[in-house]
Amino acid sequence: MRASINRPPTPDVDEEKRDEPTLQDIINIKLIESGEKENLKELLRERLIECGWRDELKAQCRALMRKRGRSNTTVDELVRNITPKGRAMVPDDIKAELLQRIQSFLMSVAL
Amino acid sequence: MGSGEVRYSSLAAGIFGDILDAVIVDVASEAHRAARLGFDRRLNTEEEEELRLSAQARAIVGESVANGDTSSKYTIDVFGQLHPAVASEIFECMNCGRPIVAGRFAPHLEKCMGKGRKARIRANANINLSQQRKVRSSPLPSYFPGGPTHTSVSSRTPPTQTSSLTPEDTQKSGLDPNDGTSEESHDDDDKGQRGRIQSGAWQVQTYL
Repeated sequence: MRASINRPPTPDVDEEKRDEPTLQDIINIKLIESGEKENLKELLRERLIECGWRDELKAQCRALMRKRGRSNTTVDELVRNITPKGRAMVPDDIKAELLQRIQSFLMSVAL
Repeated sequence: MGSGEVRYSSLAAGIFGDILDAVIVDVASEAHRAARLGFDRRLNTEEEEELRLSAQARAIVGESVANGDTSSKYTIDVFGQLHPAVASEIFECMNCGRPIVAGRFAPHLEKCMGKGRKARIRANANINLSQQRKVRSSPLPSYFPGGPTHTSVSSRTPPTQTSSLTPEDTQKSGLDPNDGTSEESHDDDDKGQRGRIQSGAWQVQTYL
């Protein structure tokens, strides 16, 4: 009996070592819960399709797969390869529009 | 306020990056899937060839437009194929089973499915025949769209809208307060016509 009384207390100690959910996390959760993240994603997708970004990126994927052989390339490789290109290719006005919307969401959440 | 906004902008940028990454992964996985499953025709043609092909296609369309060929009966598409103005392929109507020329399919469907006057009259006659076999002692409920109309079939011109069935219905039911009961469809002479219209309206209702 005494052994069990003396045993170290349960996870409380561990939990304090772990970080509190960061601001980023909280916002992310709020974003997802309200459904705004989906809306933003759809908006971004639509804009990028309209401006041809998606087609260009797909062409990049195809070029890569041609080089490395169709069955050899994995999704991971593709993603790793095209992500920097994709990020760079986003037109400024689309980026600005999305950022604007995100910021207004943040302000409406009233942190 | 100022520092708050700055904080927001870096947060916003982070979130934007997140969303963008997700979209990129979508593109990558779709391209990957298309290549692996063999959908993607463009995978095999090299880039220069692709540019050449698209320029070629554009040229084909461009020259036909520039030559004023667009007025001719044939339209020319990017592959260089000619298409006649009226589709000439023949297939079977799914309603009546007859072989129909594609270009004439729409008018055929109108007659076949009963938007047109003749089809409705024909349909009414069929309904009448089938009704005469059923027991008709109980009056039909009042949602049965109004009884026989006053106007005869010949004088009424059917409206030309394609969604015509509903306005026609309300017109008919509006004109007659009577219940569309079975007794009326008994007489055949001049009431017979009205009876037919009434049941035609009924039939039309069931379509909708």
